[in-house]
Amino acid sequence: MSLLTIENLRVSFPGEQGAVEVVKGISFELGRERLGIVGESGSGKSMTGRSILRLIDKPGSVTADRMEFDGLDLMTLSNRRMRALRGARMSMVMQDPKFSLNPVMRIGDQIAEVLSFHSKLNARERRKRVLESLEAVRITDPERVYKLYPHEVSGGMGQRIMIAMMVILEPDLMIADEPTSALDVSVQAQVLDIMDDLVTRTGMGLIIISHDLNMVARYCDRILVMFNGEIVESCQASELANAQHPYTQGLLASMPTLDEHRDRLPVLDRTQLGGV
Amino acid sequence: MIDLKHLSIAYGETSVVKDVTLHVPEGGSFALVGESGSGKSTILKAIAGQITNWTGRIRLGEHDLQHGRDPALIRLCQMVFQDPFGSLHPRKTVDTILSEPLSIHGIRDQNKRVLETLDAVGLARKFRFRLPHQLSGGQRQRVAIARALMLDPPVMLLDEPTSALDVSVQAEVLNLLKTLREERGLTYFLVTHDLPVVSFLCDNLGILRQGELVELATVDQLKQQRFSSDYGNELLSKSF
Repeated sequence: MSLLTIENLRVSFPGEQGAVEVVKGISFELGRERLGIVGESGSGKSMTGRSILRLIDKPGSVTADRMEFDGLDLMTLSNRRMRALRGARMSMVMQDPKFSLNPVMRIGDQIAEVLSFHSKLNARERRKRVLESLEAVRITDPERVYKLYPHEVSGGMGQRIMIAMMVILEPDLMIADEPTSALDVSVQAQVLDIMDDLVTRTGMGLIIISHDLNMVARYCDRILVMFNGEIVESCQASELANAQHPYTQGLLASMPTLDEHRDRLPVLDRTQLGGV
Repeated sequence: MIDLKHLSIAYGETSVVKDVTLHVPEGGSFALVGESGSGKSTILKAIAGQITNWTGRIRLGEHDLQHGRDPALIRLCQMVFQDPFGSLHPRKTVDTILSEPLSIHGIRDQNKRVLETLDAVGLARKFRFRLPHQLSGGQRQRVAIARALMLDPPVMLLDEPTSALDVSVQAEVLNLLKTLREERGLTYFLVTHDLPVVSFLCDNLGILRQGELVELATVDQLKQQRFSSDYGNELLSKSF
Protein backbone atom coordinates (compact mmCIF):
# COMPACT_ATOMS: atom_id res chain seq x y z
CA MET A 1 0.00 0.00 0.00
CA SER A 2 1.29 3.41 -0.80
CA LEU A 3 2.17 5.82 1.95
CA LEU A 4 1.22 8.97 0.15
CA THR A 5 -1.19 9.43 -2.73
CA ILE A 6 -1.56 12.70 -4.54
CA GLU A 7 -3.95 13.28 -7.39
CA ASN A 8 -4.31 16.49 -9.35
CA LEU A 9 -2.59 18.79 -6.86
CA ARG A 10 -2.83 22.47 -7.71
CA VAL A 11 -1.27 25.41 -5.89
CA SER A 12 -2.01 28.97 -6.88
CA PHE A 13 -1.30 32.46 -5.64
CA PRO A 14 -3.26 35.59 -6.51
CA GLY A 15 -1.38 37.92 -8.86
CA GLU A 16 -2.03 41.25 -10.51
CA GLN A 17 -3.52 39.56 -13.57
CA GLY A 18 -5.54 36.87 -11.82
CA ALA A 19 -4.33 33.78 -10.02
CA VAL A 20 -0.92 32.37 -10.89
CA GLU A 21 -0.81 28.61 -10.81
CA VAL A 22 2.60 27.41 -9.59
CA VAL A 23 1.72 23.71 -9.38
CA LYS A 24 -0.54 22.61 -12.21
CA GLY A 25 -2.33 19.39 -11.41
CA ILE A 26 0.35 16.88 -10.54
CA SER A 27 -0.25 13.31 -9.38
CA PHE A 28 2.10 10.80 -7.86
CA GLU A 29 2.32 8.04 -5.30
CA LEU A 30 4.98 7.32 -2.76
CA GLY A 31 5.68 4.03 -1.05
CA ARG A 32 8.41 3.35 1.46
CA GLU A 33 11.02 4.48 -0.98
CA ARG A 34 13.27 7.39 -1.79
CA LEU A 35 11.74 9.77 -4.29
CA GLY A 36 13.58 12.71 -5.79
CA ILE A 37 11.79 15.77 -7.13
CA VAL A 38 14.07 17.86 -9.34
CA GLY A 39 13.54 21.06 -11.23
CA GLU A 40 14.89 24.58 -11.53
CA SER A 41 13.87 27.58 -9.46
CA GLY A 42 10.24 28.37 -10.07
CA SER A 43 9.32 24.87 -11.19
CA GLY A 44 7.03 24.35 -8.20
CA LYS A 45 9.02 21.61 -6.51
CA SER A 46 9.23 23.28 -3.09
CA MET A 47 5.55 24.23 -3.22
CA THR A 48 4.71 20.59 -3.81
CA GLY A 49 6.67 19.59 -0.71
CA ARG A 50 5.13 22.30 1.43
CA SER A 51 1.59 21.56 0.34
CA ILE A 52 1.94 17.96 1.50
CA LEU A 53 2.58 19.26 5.02
CA ARG A 54 -0.14 21.88 4.51
CA LEU A 55 2.36 24.63 5.07
CA ILE A 56 1.04 26.95 2.39
CA ASP A 57 -0.67 29.87 4.00
CA LYS A 58 -3.15 32.36 2.66
CA PRO A 59 -3.28 33.98 0.12
CA GLY A 60 -1.98 30.80 -1.50
CA SER A 61 -4.58 28.16 -2.24
CA VAL A 62 -4.16 24.41 -2.54
CA THR A 63 -6.62 22.06 -4.20
CA ALA A 64 -6.38 18.37 -4.97
CA ASP A 65 -8.73 15.60 -6.02
CA ARG A 66 -7.05 13.37 -3.53
CA MET A 67 -4.25 13.86 -1.04
CA GLU A 68 -3.92 10.97 1.34
CA PHE A 69 -1.23 10.07 3.81
CA ASP A 70 -1.50 6.55 5.17
CA GLY A 71 -5.27 6.55 4.81
CA LEU A 72 -5.74 10.06 6.25
CA ASP A 73 -7.23 12.71 4.00
CA LEU A 74 -4.82 15.63 4.30
CA MET A 75 -7.24 18.07 2.66
CA THR A 76 -9.96 17.82 5.27
CA LEU A 77 -7.97 17.06 8.42
CA SER A 78 -8.48 19.64 11.18
CA ASN A 79 -5.58 21.94 12.03
CA ARG A 80 -5.26 20.31 15.42
CA ARG A 81 -4.85 16.82 13.96
CA MET A 82 -2.55 18.17 11.31
CA ARG A 83 -0.29 19.59 14.03
CA ALA A 84 -0.20 16.19 15.69
CA LEU A 85 0.89 14.70 12.39
CA ARG A 86 3.64 17.17 11.60
CA GLY A 87 6.89 16.33 13.29
CA ALA A 88 5.59 13.02 14.59
CA ARG A 89 4.57 11.14 11.46
CA MET A 90 5.77 13.39 8.69
CA SER A 91 8.50 15.97 8.93
CA MET A 92 10.53 18.34 6.83
CA VAL A 93 14.22 19.16 6.73
CA MET A 94 14.76 22.71 5.55
CA GLN A 95 17.49 24.07 3.36
CA ASP A 96 19.59 26.18 5.63
CA PRO A 97 20.33 25.36 9.28
CA LYS A 98 21.46 28.95 9.84
CA PHE A 99 17.92 30.23 9.41
CA SER A 100 15.89 27.25 10.51
CA LEU A 101 17.21 26.70 14.03
CA ASN A 102 16.16 28.97 16.87
CA PRO A 103 19.25 31.10 17.55
CA VAL A 104 18.49 31.74 21.23
CA MET A 105 17.75 28.19 22.31
CA ARG A 106 20.26 25.50 23.17
CA ILE A 107 20.39 22.69 20.62
CA GLY A 108 19.40 19.96 23.04
CA ASP A 109 16.40 21.91 24.31
CA GLN A 110 15.31 22.59 20.76
CA ILE A 111 15.29 18.94 19.88
CA ALA A 112 13.58 18.06 23.16
CA GLU A 113 10.77 20.47 22.29
CA VAL A 114 9.52 18.00 19.68
CA LEU A 115 9.28 15.36 22.39
CA SER A 116 7.49 17.52 24.90
CA PHE A 117 4.94 18.45 22.25
CA HIS A 118 4.29 14.96 20.90
CA SER A 119 5.05 12.58 23.76
CA LYS A 120 4.54 12.20 27.49
CA LEU A 121 8.16 11.50 28.35
CA ASN A 122 9.61 13.15 31.43
CA ALA A 123 12.62 15.44 31.35
CA ARG A 124 15.21 12.72 32.00
CA GLU A 125 13.79 10.40 29.33
CA ARG A 126 13.65 13.30 26.89
CA ARG A 127 17.27 14.10 27.48
CA LYS A 128 18.24 10.49 26.92
CA ARG A 129 16.30 10.32 23.65
CA VAL A 130 17.88 13.58 22.42
CA LEU A 131 21.36 12.29 23.13
CA GLU A 132 20.55 9.08 21.28
CA SER A 133 19.25 10.94 18.26
CA LEU A 134 22.35 13.14 18.17
CA GLU A 135 24.43 9.99 18.18
CA ALA A 136 22.30 8.57 15.37
CA VAL A 137 23.35 11.46 13.13
CA ARG A 138 26.99 10.72 13.97
CA ILE A 139 27.68 13.56 16.34
CA THR A 140 30.57 12.18 18.35
CA ASP A 141 30.20 14.26 21.47
CA PRO A 142 26.42 14.60 22.06
CA GLU A 143 26.75 15.78 25.70
CA ARG A 144 28.74 18.81 24.59
CA VAL A 145 26.64 19.57 21.51
CA TYR A 146 23.47 19.39 23.62
CA LYS A 147 24.53 22.55 25.43
CA LEU A 148 25.67 24.55 22.40
CA TYR A 149 23.79 27.31 20.62
CA PRO A 150 23.22 27.08 16.85
CA HIS A 151 25.87 29.73 16.05
CA GLU A 152 28.48 27.58 17.76
CA VAL A 153 28.21 24.68 15.31
CA SER A 154 29.26 24.37 11.67
CA GLY A 155 26.83 24.21 8.77
CA GLY A 156 27.19 20.48 8.32
CA MET A 157 26.64 19.84 12.00
CA GLY A 158 23.67 22.22 11.99
CA GLN A 159 22.08 20.24 9.21
CA ARG A 160 22.69 16.98 11.06
CA ILE A 161 21.04 18.52 14.12
CA MET A 162 18.01 19.41 12.01
CA ILE A 163 17.86 15.83 10.79
CA ALA A 164 18.14 14.57 14.37
CA MET A 165 15.21 16.79 15.27
CA MET A 166 13.18 15.45 12.37
CA VAL A 167 13.84 11.77 12.94
CA ILE A 168 13.65 11.64 16.72
CA LEU A 169 10.05 10.46 16.58
CA GLU A 170 10.75 8.15 13.66
CA PRO A 171 8.27 9.61 11.19
CA ASP A 172 6.86 7.61 8.30
CA LEU A 173 7.61 10.32 5.79
CA MET A 174 10.45 12.80 5.63
CA ILE A 175 10.55 15.62 3.12
CA ALA A 176 13.95 17.18 2.62
CA ASP A 177 13.88 20.46 0.73
CA GLU A 178 17.35 21.11 -0.70
CA PRO A 179 18.93 19.44 2.33
CA THR A 180 22.49 19.99 1.20
CA SER A 181 22.60 23.05 -1.00
CA ALA A 182 23.75 25.30 1.85
CA LEU A 183 26.55 22.88 2.70
CA ASP A 184 30.10 22.39 1.59
CA VAL A 185 30.66 19.61 -0.98
CA SER A 186 32.75 17.54 1.37
CA VAL A 187 29.97 17.54 3.97
CA GLN A 188 27.10 17.01 1.52
CA ALA A 189 27.89 13.36 0.97
CA GLN A 190 28.12 12.77 4.71
CA VAL A 191 24.71 14.33 5.42
CA LEU A 192 23.11 12.39 2.59
CA ASP A 193 24.68 9.16 3.78
CA ILE A 194 23.21 9.71 7.24
CA MET A 195 19.76 10.34 5.79
CA ASP A 196 20.09 7.32 3.56
CA ASP A 197 21.11 5.18 6.49
CA LEU A 198 18.13 6.32 8.59
CA VAL A 199 15.74 5.68 5.74
CA THR A 200 16.95 2.13 5.19
CA ARG A 201 17.02 1.37 8.91
CA THR A 202 13.60 2.70 9.85
CA GLY A 203 11.91 2.08 6.50
CA MET A 204 10.45 5.56 6.16
CA GLY A 205 9.48 7.22 2.92
CA LEU A 206 11.76 10.03 1.79
CA ILE A 207 11.20 12.86 -0.66
CA ILE A 208 14.30 14.80 -1.62
CA ILE A 209 13.59 18.10 -3.35
CA SER A 210 16.61 19.43 -5.18
CA HIS A 211 17.92 21.09 -8.29
CA ASP A 212 20.92 18.79 -8.39
CA LEU A 213 20.16 16.00 -10.86
CA ASN A 214 23.33 14.04 -10.17
CA MET A 215 22.87 14.06 -6.42
CA VAL A 216 19.26 12.94 -6.69
CA ALA A 217 20.15 10.23 -9.19
CA ARG A 218 22.67 8.87 -6.74
CA TYR A 219 20.52 8.86 -3.60
CA CYS A 220 16.98 8.14 -4.80
CA ASP A 221 15.14 5.16 -6.21
CA ARG A 222 12.79 7.14 -8.40
CA ILE A 223 12.86 10.64 -9.87
CA LEU A 224 10.17 13.13 -10.85
CA VAL A 225 11.29 16.03 -13.01
CA MET A 226 9.21 19.18 -12.68
CA PHE A 227 9.07 22.03 -15.13
CA ASN A 228 6.76 24.98 -14.96
CA GLY A 229 4.48 23.41 -12.34
CA GLU A 230 4.07 20.10 -14.11
CA ILE A 231 5.74 16.72 -13.85
CA VAL A 232 7.36 16.23 -17.23
CA GLU A 233 9.25 13.06 -16.52
CA SER A 234 9.01 10.19 -14.08
CA CYS A 235 11.62 7.47 -14.15
CA GLN A 236 13.80 5.14 -12.13
CA ALA A 237 16.95 6.88 -10.95
CA SER A 238 19.10 4.41 -12.82
CA GLU A 239 17.25 5.22 -16.03
CA LEU A 240 17.81 8.97 -15.83
CA ALA A 241 20.38 8.93 -18.62
CA ASN A 242 17.69 7.60 -20.97
CA ALA A 243 15.23 10.39 -20.14
CA GLN A 244 12.65 11.06 -22.86
CA HIS A 245 11.43 14.58 -22.26
CA PRO A 246 13.37 17.36 -24.03
CA TYR A 247 13.55 19.39 -20.81
CA THR A 248 15.22 16.59 -18.87
CA GLN A 249 17.55 15.89 -21.77
CA GLY A 250 18.35 19.60 -21.97
CA LEU A 251 19.13 19.78 -18.26
CA LEU A 252 21.38 16.75 -18.41
CA ALA A 253 23.22 18.07 -21.45
CA SER A 254 23.77 21.54 -20.00
CA MET A 255 25.76 20.21 -17.05
CA PRO A 256 29.50 20.12 -17.50
CA THR A 257 31.10 16.77 -16.72
CA LEU A 258 34.42 15.90 -15.15
CA ASP A 259 35.69 14.80 -18.52
CA GLU A 260 34.47 17.76 -20.53
CA HIS A 261 35.44 18.05 -24.19
CA ARG A 262 32.62 20.16 -25.58
CA ASP A 263 33.64 23.63 -26.67
CA ARG A 264 30.27 25.14 -25.72
CA LEU A 265 27.58 23.77 -23.44
CA PRO A 266 24.14 23.35 -25.00
CA VAL A 267 21.64 25.83 -23.58
CA LEU A 268 17.97 25.08 -22.94
CA ASP A 269 15.68 26.62 -25.50
CA ARG A 270 12.79 27.69 -23.32
CA THR A 271 10.65 29.01 -26.14
CA GLN A 272 10.64 25.57 -27.72
CA LEU A 273 9.52 24.00 -24.46
CA GLY A 274 6.54 26.31 -24.38
CA GLY A 275 7.44 27.50 -20.90
CA VAL A 276 7.97 30.89 -19.32
CA MET B 1 50.27 37.23 -15.57
CA ILE B 2 49.59 36.27 -11.97
CA ASP B 3 52.60 35.36 -9.91
CA LEU B 4 52.34 34.37 -6.26
CA LYS B 5 55.58 33.72 -4.38
CA HIS B 6 55.61 32.34 -0.84
CA LEU B 7 52.26 33.91 -0.09
CA SER B 8 51.20 33.52 3.53
CA ILE B 9 48.24 35.04 5.31
CA ALA B 10 47.44 34.84 8.99
CA TYR B 11 44.63 36.19 11.11
CA GLY B 12 46.21 36.71 14.51
CA GLU B 13 47.71 33.38 15.56
CA THR B 14 45.86 31.34 12.96
CA SER B 15 47.61 30.98 9.68
CA VAL B 16 45.11 30.58 6.86
CA VAL B 17 47.36 30.45 3.82
CA LYS B 18 50.76 28.81 4.12
CA ASP B 19 53.56 29.53 1.67
CA VAL B 20 51.65 29.30 -1.61
CA THR B 21 53.62 29.72 -4.82
CA LEU B 22 51.95 29.55 -8.18
CA HIS B 23 52.01 31.10 -11.61
CA VAL B 24 49.29 31.75 -14.17
CA PRO B 25 50.47 32.71 -17.67
CA GLU B 26 48.88 35.52 -19.65
CA GLY B 27 45.61 34.36 -21.19
CA GLY B 28 45.59 31.32 -18.94
CA SER B 29 42.71 30.07 -16.88
CA PHE B 30 43.54 28.76 -13.45
CA ALA B 31 41.25 27.25 -10.84
CA LEU B 32 41.84 26.96 -7.13
CA VAL B 33 39.80 24.16 -5.62
CA GLY B 34 39.33 22.99 -2.05
CA GLU B 35 36.82 22.64 0.75
CA SER B 36 35.48 25.60 2.65
CA GLY B 37 38.05 26.85 5.09
CA SER B 38 40.91 25.78 2.84
CA GLY B 39 41.87 29.41 2.24
CA LYS B 40 40.99 29.62 -1.44
CA SER B 41 38.79 32.69 -1.09
CA THR B 42 41.39 34.31 1.15
CA ILE B 43 43.99 34.06 -1.62
CA LEU B 44 41.51 35.60 -4.03
CA LYS B 45 40.84 38.45 -1.64
CA ALA B 46 44.55 39.10 -1.25
CA ILE B 47 44.99 39.38 -5.02
CA ALA B 48 41.96 41.67 -5.19
CA GLY B 49 43.49 43.91 -2.53
CA GLN B 50 40.78 43.28 0.05
CA ILE B 51 43.23 41.74 2.49
CA THR B 52 46.43 43.64 3.14
CA ASN B 53 48.24 41.69 5.86
CA TRP B 54 49.78 39.10 3.58
CA THR B 55 53.47 38.30 3.32
CA GLY B 56 55.39 37.11 0.30
CA ARG B 57 54.98 38.52 -3.17
CA ILE B 58 51.96 39.04 -5.41
CA ARG B 59 52.76 40.14 -8.93
CA LEU B 60 50.21 40.95 -11.61
CA GLY B 61 51.88 41.36 -14.99
CA GLU B 62 54.65 43.87 -14.40
CA HIS B 63 53.04 45.26 -11.29
CA ASP B 64 54.08 44.31 -7.77
CA LEU B 65 51.09 44.49 -5.48
CA GLN B 66 51.37 46.97 -2.63
CA HIS B 67 50.05 46.43 0.85
CA GLY B 68 47.16 48.77 1.42
CA ARG B 69 45.20 50.73 -1.15
CA ASP B 70 46.58 50.31 -4.61
CA PRO B 71 44.91 52.36 -7.35
CA ALA B 72 46.81 50.66 -10.17
CA LEU B 73 45.34 47.32 -9.12
CA ILE B 74 41.81 48.32 -10.03
CA ARG B 75 42.68 48.70 -13.70
CA LEU B 76 44.50 45.37 -13.64
CA CYS B 77 41.99 43.03 -12.12
CA GLN B 78 38.31 42.93 -11.34
CA MET B 79 36.22 40.40 -9.50
CA VAL B 80 32.92 38.62 -10.13
CA PHE B 81 31.23 37.44 -6.95
CA GLN B 82 29.29 34.31 -6.15
CA ASP B 83 25.89 35.71 -5.38
CA PRO B 84 24.39 38.02 -8.00
CA PHE B 85 21.60 38.86 -5.55
CA GLY B 86 24.01 40.36 -3.04
CA SER B 87 26.65 41.90 -5.24
CA LEU B 88 24.60 44.49 -7.15
CA HIS B 89 23.37 47.70 -5.54
CA PRO B 90 19.59 47.26 -5.25
CA ARG B 91 18.76 50.91 -5.91
CA LYS B 92 21.05 51.59 -8.84
CA THR B 93 20.08 50.89 -12.42
CA VAL B 94 22.20 48.69 -14.66
CA ASP B 95 23.33 51.86 -16.43
CA THR B 96 24.55 53.48 -13.20
CA ILE B 97 26.26 50.27 -12.08
CA LEU B 98 28.14 50.04 -15.36
CA SER B 99 29.06 53.71 -15.81
CA GLU B 100 30.21 54.29 -12.24
CA PRO B 101 33.71 52.83 -12.75
CA LEU B 102 34.06 54.95 -15.91
CA SER B 103 33.20 58.16 -14.06
CA ILE B 104 35.58 57.36 -11.24
CA HIS B 105 38.44 56.78 -13.65
CA GLY B 106 37.51 59.73 -15.84
CA ILE B 107 36.91 57.71 -18.95
CA ARG B 108 34.92 59.32 -21.76
CA ASP B 109 32.49 57.80 -24.23
CA GLN B 110 30.42 56.34 -21.43
CA ASN B 111 27.31 55.81 -23.52
CA LYS B 112 29.17 53.89 -26.21
CA ARG B 113 31.12 51.78 -23.73
CA VAL B 114 28.07 50.79 -21.71
CA LEU B 115 26.22 49.69 -24.84
CA GLU B 116 29.25 47.78 -26.14
CA THR B 117 29.67 45.92 -22.88
CA LEU B 118 25.96 45.08 -22.68
CA ASP B 119 26.27 43.56 -26.15
CA ALA B 120 29.42 41.69 -25.16
CA VAL B 121 27.73 39.93 -22.24
CA GLY B 122 24.62 39.19 -24.25
CA LEU B 123 22.20 41.46 -22.41
CA ALA B 124 19.54 43.17 -24.54
CA ARG B 125 19.80 46.97 -24.52
CA LYS B 126 16.30 47.27 -23.04
CA PHE B 127 17.76 46.13 -19.71
CA ARG B 128 19.98 49.21 -19.48
CA PHE B 129 17.68 51.24 -17.26
CA ARG B 130 16.30 48.43 -15.14
CA LEU B 131 16.98 47.83 -11.47
CA PRO B 132 18.56 44.56 -10.31
CA HIS B 133 15.34 43.19 -8.82
CA GLN B 134 13.76 43.32 -12.27
CA LEU B 135 16.33 40.85 -13.60
CA SER B 136 16.67 37.08 -13.24
CA GLY B 137 19.67 35.48 -11.53
CA GLY B 138 21.42 34.76 -14.81
CA GLN B 139 20.86 38.29 -16.09
CA ARG B 140 22.20 39.74 -12.86
CA GLN B 141 25.33 37.65 -13.13
CA ARG B 142 25.76 39.02 -16.66
CA VAL B 143 25.54 42.54 -15.23
CA ALA B 144 28.17 41.64 -12.64
CA ILE B 145 30.45 40.32 -15.40
CA ALA B 146 29.80 43.45 -17.47
CA ARG B 147 30.72 45.64 -14.50
CA ALA B 148 33.99 43.75 -14.11
CA LEU B 149 34.74 44.29 -17.81
CA MET B 150 34.06 48.04 -17.86
CA LEU B 151 37.67 49.03 -17.14
CA ASP B 152 39.09 46.43 -19.55
CA PRO B 153 41.19 44.64 -16.95
CA PRO B 154 43.48 41.88 -18.24
CA VAL B 155 42.75 39.70 -15.18
CA MET B 156 39.35 38.50 -13.94
CA LEU B 157 38.94 37.01 -10.48
CA LEU B 158 35.93 34.71 -10.33
CA ASP B 159 34.60 33.61 -6.95
CA GLU B 160 32.25 30.64 -7.56
CA PRO B 161 30.63 32.56 -10.41
CA THR B 162 27.91 29.99 -11.16
CA SER B 163 27.20 28.14 -7.94
CA ALA B 164 24.16 30.27 -7.11
CA LEU B 165 22.59 29.65 -10.52
CA ASP B 166 20.36 26.94 -11.95
CA VAL B 167 22.12 24.37 -14.14
CA SER B 168 20.71 25.61 -17.44
CA VAL B 169 21.58 29.22 -16.53
CA GLN B 170 24.98 28.05 -15.35
CA ALA B 171 25.61 26.69 -18.86
CA GLU B 172 24.83 30.12 -20.38
CA VAL B 173 27.15 31.95 -18.01
CA LEU B 174 29.96 29.42 -18.47
CA ASN B 175 29.66 29.73 -22.25
CA LEU B 176 29.79 33.51 -21.91
CA LEU B 177 32.91 33.39 -19.74
CA LYS B 178 34.60 31.10 -22.24
CA THR B 179 33.71 33.35 -25.17
CA LEU B 180 34.90 36.50 -23.39
CA ARG B 181 38.19 34.90 -22.56
CA GLU B 182 38.77 33.87 -26.17
CA GLU B 183 37.75 37.25 -27.59
CA ARG B 184 39.64 39.46 -25.16
CA GLY B 185 42.53 37.24 -24.13
CA LEU B 186 41.57 37.56 -20.47
CA THR B 187 43.37 35.72 -17.69
CA TYR B 188 40.99 33.92 -15.33
CA PHE B 189 41.62 33.07 -11.71
CA LEU B 190 38.69 30.97 -10.54
CA VAL B 191 37.83 29.77 -7.07
CA THR B 192 35.35 26.91 -6.93
CA HIS B 193 34.53 23.53 -5.48
CA ASP B 194 32.79 22.36 -8.63
CA LEU B 195 35.26 20.16 -10.50
CA PRO B 196 33.16 19.76 -13.67
CA VAL B 197 33.16 23.56 -14.06
CA VAL B 198 36.95 23.50 -13.83
CA SER B 199 37.02 20.83 -16.51
CA PHE B 200 35.02 23.07 -18.83
CA LEU B 201 36.63 26.43 -18.21
CA CYS B 202 40.22 26.01 -17.06
CA ASP B 203 43.65 24.85 -18.22
CA ASN B 204 45.27 24.28 -14.85
CA LEU B 205 44.23 23.90 -11.27
CA GLY B 206 45.65 24.01 -7.79
CA ILE B 207 44.32 21.93 -4.93
CA LEU B 208 44.34 23.65 -1.57
CA ARG B 209 43.98 22.01 1.80
CA GLN B 210 44.07 23.89 5.09
CA GLY B 211 45.99 26.72 3.49
CA GLU B 212 48.59 24.57 1.82
CA LEU B 213 48.87 23.93 -1.87
CA VAL B 214 48.71 20.14 -2.08
CA GLU B 215 48.99 19.77 -5.81
CA LEU B 216 49.27 21.71 -9.05
CA ALA B 217 47.70 19.77 -11.89
CA THR B 218 46.65 20.18 -15.49
CA VAL B 219 43.05 19.90 -16.53
CA ASP B 220 43.90 16.71 -18.43
CA GLN B 221 44.86 15.09 -15.16
CA LEU B 222 41.42 16.09 -13.87
CA LYS B 223 39.68 14.71 -16.96
CA GLN B 224 41.46 11.40 -16.64
CA GLN B 225 40.90 11.51 -12.87
CA ARG B 226 44.57 11.01 -12.22
CA PHE B 227 45.82 13.33 -9.51
CA SER B 228 49.13 12.53 -7.92
CA SER B 229 48.12 13.45 -4.36
CA ASP B 230 45.86 11.34 -2.17
CA TYR B 231 43.84 14.36 -1.18
CA GLY B 232 43.19 15.26 -4.83
CA ASN B 233 41.79 11.81 -5.47
CA GLU B 234 39.72 12.06 -2.31
CA LEU B 235 38.16 15.28 -3.64
CA LEU B 236 37.42 13.51 -6.92
CA SER B 237 35.62 10.69 -5.17
CA LYS B 238 33.42 13.17 -3.30
CA SER B 239 32.44 14.97 -6.47
CA PHE B 240 29.20 13.81 -8.05
